[in-house]
Amino acid sequence: MFGFFLTVLNPSHSLHKEFEREAIPHSDILYNYALRMTGNADDARDLLQETFLKAFRFWDKYEKGTNVRAWLFRIMKNTYINVYRKAVKEPDTVDYNDIQNFYNVIRESSADANDLQEKLFGHLLDDDVTKALEALPEEFRTVVILCDIEGLTYEEIAEFVECPVGTVRSRLHRGRKLLYATLFEYAKKRGFVGKD
Amino acid sequence: MDCREFQELITEAVDKRLHTPIEHHFSAHADTCPSCRNEFERERITKSVVHSKVQHQDVPNDVSESLLAAVENLRPASRNWLTIIFGETFLNPAVALVALLFVAVGAVSLLQKNNAVPLASNRNIITQSLNNYSAAMTGALKPTLISHDASDVKDYLSKDTPFDVSVATLDDCDWCGGVLSEIDGVRLVHVVYKIGGEGLLYVYQVDMNEALRGNKIGLPENAKASLAKTGWYFEQTPDRCNVVLWRHKNTLCAAVSKIGRDKMIALLSEKDPW
Repeated sequence: MFGFFLTVLNPSHSLHKEFEREAIPHSDILYNYALRMTGNADDARDLLQETFLKAFRFWDKYEKGTNVRAWLFRIMKNTYINVYRKAVKEPDTVDYNDIQNFYNVIRESSADANDLQEKLFGHLLDDDVTKALEALPEEFRTVVILCDIEGLTYEEIAEFVECPVGTVRSRLHRGRKLLYATLFEYAKKRGFVGKD
Repeated sequence: MDCREFQELITEAVDKRLHTPIEHHFSAHADTCPSCRNEFERERITKSVVHSKVQHQDVPNDVSESLLAAVENLRPASRNWLTIIFGETFLNPAVALVALLFVAVGAVSLLQKNNAVPLASNRNIITQSLNNYSAAMTGALKPTLISHDASDVKDYLSKDTPFDVSVATLDDCDWCGGVLSEIDGVRLVHVVYKIGGEGLLYVYQVDMNEALRGNKIGLPENAKASLAKTGWYFEQTPDRCNVVLWRHKNTLCAAVSKIGRDKMIALLSEKDPW
């Protein structure tokens, strides 16, 4: 009863407690997504903070019992699009058709090369892979981050990005193809694979 | 299974989502078709490289702490003292009664103390704005909320403020922040903008009617006349600090900065025409 009295006197107190209990535990995955989208820790920190400030402001709009992580993710994605994407120079546009052609050519190469290739790709620097990831078009980058780094299921990703599971699958497929092509180029530049 | 069917299943196979019977057909095709097997292997390698080279990172402790502090700061300032008194450790009714007594006696003074912001004893709004600008420059006046999004700051400052708060989305603005204070029961709003490469722009806001009455906040006669005639007032101090006064709905705003007068007016007039 006294608790009720306290809540009536100070509703913001219970609101903060509820928000801290329900939303803050998801800061981990959101921080990592922010880090991969903005490309640096300072902007990731700012994006995370703005996401949570917005989320708290609209906490009464959040439908209790639904996926709070997906709700927070959508707020972060919109904030990123509205604030950060404008400020960041867009990466050079990748023509998917060029990549497809490249892929069709290397598709015919020897299957025996795969083991070797895995080892050679393993020698790539972490920064090379991060750079290749950051150069991916946004819609592909998002699903690759959520699936291959954060380990979310297709169904979770579909809820996060509000699209059908089939779209998640095709974006993953195309995103990984683009990534492979970029990583292959990096490996060539570093002399890990032949120039031909 | 033919090559086309295999191609469609590659991504789900890489993510180990295929059901057993389909997985058998998939493996059987891969064993007999080097080209398809290559494509599967390349996607698998890509996922594996990304997973191993781009590690999930824990949120740094200071980020978690600042996140909690930022959310905490969104609590309406006038309720802070209630929260302190009625926090969960005070669930004992006897303790709460003592707390209530404390609230009854000391609430007003405590509230004022919590909201204390350096202010000149001089009630002239221009002098106050200049002093507060200096306080913002030295860090003595600190915003309790900072954001890239002006609407966050506006929402925060608008709670329990009886006049319209103006927080504009300015070009070249790195961030903006705000803090509330009171002087003799009169609500004051302070907004600070960090303009990229130009320094700070401070904006003091108070109820226009309060300023016109002049009981607690004074408005010089020449500024009052200029506001009535042109809608704005400009003054430059000997050390080249620019002060611009204008009316925003029922609010008197006073902006202070060392960025050039023209730039300052361009910045403010573009977003909040007076």
